[in-house]
Amino acid sequence: MSLVKAENRRLFKRRMTKWSLVIGVLILAAIFAGIFFSHQKSTPQAIAAAEAQAEQQYQQAIKDWETRDKALCESSGRPAETCVPPQREWFQGEHLLPPSFSFKGAFGDLLIIWAAIMAMIAFLIGATFVGAEWSSGAMMNLLTWRPKRMSVLGTKLGVLLGGMTIVGVVTFALWTGGLWLTGQYRGDTNGMTSGTWQSFGLSGLRGIGMILLFATLGFTIASIGRHTALAMGLAIGVIVVGQIGLSIVLQIARVAYAEQYLIPVHMTAWLNKQITLTDYSGSVSCGPNGCDAPQKVLTYTDSGLLGLGLALVIAAIAFWSIRRRDIA
Amino acid sequence: MSSVLEINGLRKTYRSRGGPRRALDSFDMHVEAGQVHGFLGPNGSGKTTTLRTLLGLIRADGGEMRVFGQELPAALPQVIHQLGAIVESPQFFGNFTARDTLSLLCDAGNLPQSRVDWAFELVGLRERAKERVKTYSLGMKQRLAVASALLKQPRLLILDEPANGLDPGGIREMREMMATLSAGGMTVVLSSHILSEIQIICDHVTIISLGRRVAAGPVSEVLAAYSTGQVRVAFETPADLEAAGQVLSAAGIGYQKNNGHLLVSGVDKPASISRMLAERQLYVSELTPVGADLESVFLELTGTAPVPGQHRPVDQSVKVSSEANEANPAGAQA
Repeated sequence: MSLVKAENRRLFKRRMTKWSLVIGVLILAAIFAGIFFSHQKSTPQAIAAAEAQAEQQYQQAIKDWETRDKALCESSGRPAETCVPPQREWFQGEHLLPPSFSFKGAFGDLLIIWAAIMAMIAFLIGATFVGAEWSSGAMMNLLTWRPKRMSVLGTKLGVLLGGMTIVGVVTFALWTGGLWLTGQYRGDTNGMTSGTWQSFGLSGLRGIGMILLFATLGFTIASIGRHTALAMGLAIGVIVVGQIGLSIVLQIARVAYAEQYLIPVHMTAWLNKQITLTDYSGSVSCGPNGCDAPQKVLTYTDSGLLGLGLALVIAAIAFWSIRRRDIA
Repeated sequence: MSSVLEINGLRKTYRSRGGPRRALDSFDMHVEAGQVHGFLGPNGSGKTTTLRTLLGLIRADGGEMRVFGQELPAALPQVIHQLGAIVESPQFFGNFTARDTLSLLCDAGNLPQSRVDWAFELVGLRERAKERVKTYSLGMKQRLAVASALLKQPRLLILDEPANGLDPGGIREMREMMATLSAGGMTVVLSSHILSEIQIICDHVTIISLGRRVAAGPVSEVLAAYSTGQVRVAFETPADLEAAGQVLSAAGIGYQKNNGHLLVSGVDKPASISRMLAERQLYVSELTPVGADLESVFLELTGTAPVPGQHRPVDQSVKVSSEANEANPAGAQA
């Protein structure tokens, strides 16, 4: 327990941890502010004002039609039946209302923003937490106090995951609370049953799971390379080469369901329970009822197992590495 | 005395692209309780590899290690709380304050936080404890490293180059601290390149070269084994040098004439020279046995003495044969 206490203190004493969390929360706060101030509640007064504005616009359009537009239309040589006056249904009050926030409708899409930002922060914190220890020599120093290497690495990882769980729960609560308040004051929270709340809670748990997965990946990769830079370099490499480059190559090669090789697709499938992929690599004909391209569904269990397997393999290599390799 | 540290036949070979390099070649080392034991060797001789192997940071290829009678590395978790160590340069996370650094180690070792102030006081860092480690000079980092090793109040303290980066005052303080700790019953193993300090601080010494022990035992015995046995004889009147030389020659005693004095060799009792010359009315003004110092013994044993016009690459030392080592009285454990 003493090592757990020490590592807990070490994790939250680190400036990188503090600043990463501050930056992550600030980004979320900025996004939240944008959402909050770009929506407005549809009050009866606002609806009445919008309807009045629509009626005013309709009357103006009729006036313009009679005095100018009708003559212009008839002199243009177009068929007479196409020259019709403005219709009242073209001028709807709801079109003039500022967008209203639907908590239930928007939650799923906005959850991805929270999870993706916090996962990135968790990867960074995980990588620096152990990477800086290795590169500064502090890890070697610690091992002269606690010579059980596997136990030390396991404790560090456990403390990181514990800390990131707390961070994930707190930020999820803040994010959900903020969006609910946005619904209350800038839209609606209609349709929220206990089943909906349960579904949102499970989505949040999956989001926290994703944060923990990225924290584990950052930590274990940095531990294998014994430097933060390895994890960060690998992450940039995966994004640039493994994602942007790969997606281009896959499209050129016309690989079926090329999207399934991209990380964001799996993140979306994990958080939204599933994602439907369409294969445009073969011959596709489109008609009034849509295209006949084949489709397949990627479920959260597919993506979850893939992520879990990846994390377990890299973690196994990290533990094998610290057990077998000399510490110089 | 009970044995605190025993190393027998320790072997370690590093494998790299340039081919295998034998860092430790059946190395032996024995340290008894209460000793201040100097551990000497040129760069790349295997000192740090030995200490790291002892601390479980490096896996040995063969041999035995025991600390407090318990076999390492298996029993390391049981003895680690009695073993304080710094290996090579001080290694700390630069953005933490010195106080945080030691406080975290106390937590990791399940030690009371009161030890932190005690250790700072001991190494003279109390006033600077709240500063970040990255702002420290090398000497201050060295003191912090020693403080971290002392936190456990260990029975065996292993310090690798503790005087590195210290100013003369700091070196003297370090020397006095070693003496105090030793007097308090702590066994200290001290690796250093400052041989004059080792000679003053340590009572025993082990010299390693090319991964093998080339000398070991009490400092006085090691020095005696490599002593030239010469006696420096000076006279009040330089003119007496010639006459004294003739007297010594007649008695079958060899000598060399140097600047204003004679270096007489092959004499068991220096007083006999004085008596022999006085009988001829030749009175000596100085009669001093010429003893070897640790530096000259070290340079001779490791073959690292500088040769004019030659550059010695790092790791290049002389190979001392095992027969020669066994024949050398100081090579055997005292």
